[in-house]
Amino acid sequence: MDLDDDLPPADAAAALRLIQDQRSATARRLDPDARLLYWPWGVAWLVGFGLFFLRFPPGDSELVRLPGWLPLTVLFALLLAAAAVQAVASARAYGQVTGDSARRGRWYGCAWGLGSVSVYAGTGQITEYLPHDRAGLLWSATAVGLTGALHMAGGAIWLNRDLFRLGVWISVINLVGAIAGPGWHALVVAAAGGGGILVAGALARRRQRERQRL
Amino acid sequence: MTELDPVIHAQARLRVVASLSTLGEGDKIAFPRLQELLAMTAGNLSVHLRKLEDAGYVEISKTHRGRTPATLVRLSRRGRLAFEEYTEAIRSLLDLTPSKEQS
Repeated sequence: MDLDDDLPPADAAAALRLIQDQRSATARRLDPDARLLYWPWGVAWLVGFGLFFLRFPPGDSELVRLPGWLPLTVLFALLLAAAAVQAVASARAYGQVTGDSARRGRWYGCAWGLGSVSVYAGTGQITEYLPHDRAGLLWSATAVGLTGALHMAGGAIWLNRDLFRLGVWISVINLVGAIAGPGWHALVVAAAGGGGILVAGALARRRQRERQRL
Repeated sequence: MTELDPVIHAQARLRVVASLSTLGEGDKIAFPRLQELLAMTAGNLSVHLRKLEDAGYVEISKTHRGRTPATLVRLSRRGRLAFEEYTEAIRSLLDLTPSKEQS
């Protein structure tokens, strides 16, 4: 189809089809696949906190014999990988678009980065005074709590109900896990948190496809 | 279809405007990216953008990204309005003249 000309569309139906095709094609290219933004994080939580639970369950004995350094190392490696996937997918989609959306994304990214650093600076100061299991709970409950709050904030920034709901869900399960105590917290975050992110990713993808068909 | 906006009522420019309309109101897109999305040659896209700019439908700004100059394109408020009116007009035409191929 050669459109490099000044000719009007053949008729109204052709014009409408051209508008719809062009809009959905553009939206598809300028919007990263929602699964790439959610699922790597869901997998990281599911596997990382899952290993944490197996190695450091409630009580004194481990459920599965694993080196003590393994769960945290795997968790951090998977979180880094998820961040990398998100960064690449976002850069490919939004890379050449500037303006309000880009500024929103940049400031939101700053909130994550600086927010984490400032929170962990305080946590790091008191870790050494706590027993191992309490220290673990403090770190993970703080990290998950911050994640929940920032997801809710993200929902507010982009008026995205699903993102907001995911933030509420993460905050609530974090609360439940923190009350349940060390060990249980990791299980709750792995299953309900990781699982919740996977479900949210599938929902976001479905909505994205509906939007892109318009 | 004589009353349709002649600036937008041309296939190439309609595609340009439809594409730009998917961006947020405060957003701009770099020229090469727009060119890639539309699969148009740089020269051809420039010609159509100039016509749209003359009509006040798009705003073109030159800036620097680091050291490389960049051209940014954005649909103006007026352009967005014109595109919405055009789409409305097309829709009402289709409602008035139900065609066989309407899907």
